[in-house]
Amino acid sequence: MTLLDEKEQVVEEAVNPRLERKARKQESWRGFFHAAPAYVYLILFFVLPLLIIFVFSFGSRSNTGKPLLENWNFDSWGRLVDPLVRTIAIRSLWMALLNTAVCLMIAYPFAYWIATRAKQRTRTLLLIAVLIPFWSNFLVRTYAWRMLLGSDGYITQLGEATGLWGRMLFTQPAVFIGLLYGYLPFMVLPLYAALERMDWGLIEAGRDLYASGSKAFRKITLPLSKPGIIAGSILVFIPSLGAYVTPDILGGAKTNLLGNLLVTQFQAARNWPFGSALSGAILIVMLVATMIYFRTGGRTI
Amino acid sequence: MTRLHHGAAARPGVDRSLAIFGSLVFAFLYLPILVVVVFSFSGSESVGRWGGFSLRWYEQMLKNEQLLNALENSVVVALVSTVVATVLGTAAALSLDRYRRWVGRGAFDGLLYLPIIIPDVTMAVMLLLWFTSTGVIPLGRGSITLAHIAFNISFVAIVVRARLAHMDPAMEDAAADLYANRWQAFRRVTLPLIMPGVLGGALLALTLSLDDVVITSFVQGPGSTTLPVYVFGLIRRTVTPVINAVSTLMIAVSMVLVLASLTLQNRTGRRTESKGDRPMKRKPLIEKAESRENQQ
Amino acid sequence: MTERTSAVSLHSVTKRFGEDVVAVDDIDLQIQDGEFFSLLGPSGCGKTTTLRIIAGLEFPTEGSVRIFGEEMGLRPPNKRPVNTVFQSYALFPHMNVADNVGFGLRMKKVDDSEVRRRVGEAIDLVRLTGLEKRSPKELSGGEQQRVALARALVNQPKVLLLDEPLGALDLKLRQTMQLELKDIQHEVGITFVYVTHDQGEALTMSDRIGVMSEGRLAQVGSAEDVYESPQNLFVAGFVGEMCLLPAVIVEPGTVRLNGGEVIRARTSAPNGTPVTLTVRPEKLHIYSATSEAPPGRNALKGSIVRQTFFGESLVYEVQISRSDTIEVRVENIPSIRRWSVGDQVIIDFHPEAAMAITE
Repeated sequence: MTLLDEKEQVVEEAVNPRLERKARKQESWRGFFHAAPAYVYLILFFVLPLLIIFVFSFGSRSNTGKPLLENWNFDSWGRLVDPLVRTIAIRSLWMALLNTAVCLMIAYPFAYWIATRAKQRTRTLLLIAVLIPFWSNFLVRTYAWRMLLGSDGYITQLGEATGLWGRMLFTQPAVFIGLLYGYLPFMVLPLYAALERMDWGLIEAGRDLYASGSKAFRKITLPLSKPGIIAGSILVFIPSLGAYVTPDILGGAKTNLLGNLLVTQFQAARNWPFGSALSGAILIVMLVATMIYFRTGGRTI
Repeated sequence: MTRLHHGAAARPGVDRSLAIFGSLVFAFLYLPILVVVVFSFSGSESVGRWGGFSLRWYEQMLKNEQLLNALENSVVVALVSTVVATVLGTAAALSLDRYRRWVGRGAFDGLLYLPIIIPDVTMAVMLLLWFTSTGVIPLGRGSITLAHIAFNISFVAIVVRARLAHMDPAMEDAAADLYANRWQAFRRVTLPLIMPGVLGGALLALTLSLDDVVITSFVQGPGSTTLPVYVFGLIRRTVTPVINAVSTLMIAVSMVLVLASLTLQNRTGRRTESKGDRPMKRKPLIEKAESRENQQ
Repeated sequence: MTERTSAVSLHSVTKRFGEDVVAVDDIDLQIQDGEFFSLLGPSGCGKTTTLRIIAGLEFPTEGSVRIFGEEMGLRPPNKRPVNTVFQSYALFPHMNVADNVGFGLRMKKVDDSEVRRRVGEAIDLVRLTGLEKRSPKELSGGEQQRVALARALVNQPKVLLLDEPLGALDLKLRQTMQLELKDIQHEVGITFVYVTHDQGEALTMSDRIGVMSEGRLAQVGSAEDVYESPQNLFVAGFVGEMCLLPAVIVEPGTVRLNGGEVIRARTSAPNGTPVTLTVRPEKLHIYSATSEAPPGRNALKGSIVRQTFFGESLVYEVQISRSDTIEVRVENIPSIRRWSVGDQVIIDFHPEAAMAITE
């Protein structure tokens, strides 16, 4: 008889709190072990790298630009209030806020329109139509605007023909259009999700109660879709604030945003400590924004 | 499910304006992509003027050694990171959904969301600092793959977790009651039922990996450039219609992936609506007790 | 030991969730071999938790669970000689009917031809022949219920556990299934432990009933015991309809009501104890106030304050004193005399029908 079989032969005893606690503990270890590979992975390749940003931000650099983990100082954090940095930070913040607001203004009626189609099939098809550009390569989508807004692009041709605008490429409006185009679907999807699960009988009741449709909308639909508005705003605001590809392709040298400033520190400028401080600052802003999001009760991403 | 949406239907004027607005938004979403696709077949050097149908840019694309090398890197990185992230992410989702109490669960739950919301420049910077300062892993395909796994785990875990939440926990009880041990219950019951979620998560991971520019450009090494990073370099330097051809290819791949994923989710939805596996409310007292326990 | 081994025996079983919620509170229970035993109680009373503890899907915090004398301890469900029919049926949606039914046997590594034979028999037993290849979602609720039953029975468990199996069915189907379940139990001859909140279901099907309240067994007994001799107010109120009247024991077998009337009833407490007098509405008779009450029976004077029509019966509410009313259920038969509100009547009942419960 093998050892295992012998173990099975052991007469079981009645359960007491000690045994049950042991069983519960065993069960919770099982949960831990399921998570362990991902947990360890994320600590190794996410948490520790996240912390190292802060370590480097207090470091210094050699004459050749090599980062040194010695001569600890606060200079890099101090540089965050430089007028140049401040200008770029304010521009980024403004762009991110503006983009969030405009995305919301476009996405709300759009998502409302999709969510109020009576047939499930129509709603699904329209949603797929939103998802396809959403899943398409971000770089390609940005590149498309470089074509359209360039010297011989269609939008430029249209503007010149009507005399309303000239070449927009490498200007702030071009970057804004790129950001809007890039992140609009991030706003549509959570709004659609919020509006789709709404109880439309409630709106009808509201219509009876308030008589005017717009009042019913303000008093009922809008508050009920608040989680979608918050989720969408976070999903647009954070990547807009850290945008790099869009301003790089559409903004050229003139319209730097925080993302470009950050990347430059690790490439041409070779100032890793300052770059780290900048990432740390962006990270903190992002965490605060997310915390506000979770505080307001949203959970769906 | 049929449902009348009185909200909009009651006011035809509003509805018509909404429909016009909606069509304009769709035009805004699709026209730029369409322009890229159309001009990839234009024979002209100019990216803005039609020069007759031609496949010359596709030919040029296929002759470009660097581009093909980048494509190979992209595919290898995407496949490896997807497989690893799918396994780790699925296990993580199981641990969160099926095991309510374990040490560090709360922290893990929060940690899992972070890679999704963090801006990619920040993630790029931190991984570059980590790889260069530890020096254990040289920058190259390996470091790119490790970085992609780091953000993909979270996306897979969230998709799978959503699927698990829809599954009646009595399914696993029934399997155990019918003599299945833990592994058999997972293999025969849980896994087949969450499969659409697992595959959906994997497709999302694949797409994200094939799309990433910023993180990859930071943690790449010599010769390990991926396709999007290579194209990004091209776009910054010149405007050549070859980019249109590559872009069209990338859009085509995205479309295949999104349609595959939607087909899976559609099957998921229908399955959830079947009578048999709809979770039922029962023993509210105990559920309340358990949730109270979890909050502690 | 001469004592017969119970099919299921719970000894001091307690289940706590967290610190302060006690789902099952120190339960002692013996279920005999071949018995149809029901656990009856309102939702949240701990009956489902008790069943899950027997199945091994939940471990008790404390106590002993034995199945045919064998201690189960912390043994996982897949190693227990019991099977469960779940409330939601929990049929595997990715398998057809035959694969669902054969799942347990395949897990036990029974060989293929044997599995096919036994699955066929089980499907015949629940009268689903011909539906083997169907997917569960193509079946009606009643058919799904039978698949769940076949899937459990095919393993020839020593005890079958059923968790509100008829809860999701409509009334008609529920009644047919009740009879069918009882027939199947006779046919297979194994112990059934049946959880329900429906007292009618428990009364018609069970050999014995355990009434549960707040994690405790309020009373265990045959359907008749539980109905005719409730041991406490909870059982009296939960099982069937009951008129409750406050009273005081004056001497063994005699109580005095609030209004001063002294009547005879079954008592067990000492003189002077305040009690609640219980009597079933269908055991009361109404006579005109002018007629003579039959000798040897209790009689109470009162006036009709309300009548409710139920179809097969009528219920009259009768004011018998300033503070107390009593409900009388009268069968709706052609010869019955109809009363109207305001009529002066006499209610009479056998002393055996009235029981004084001390609380």
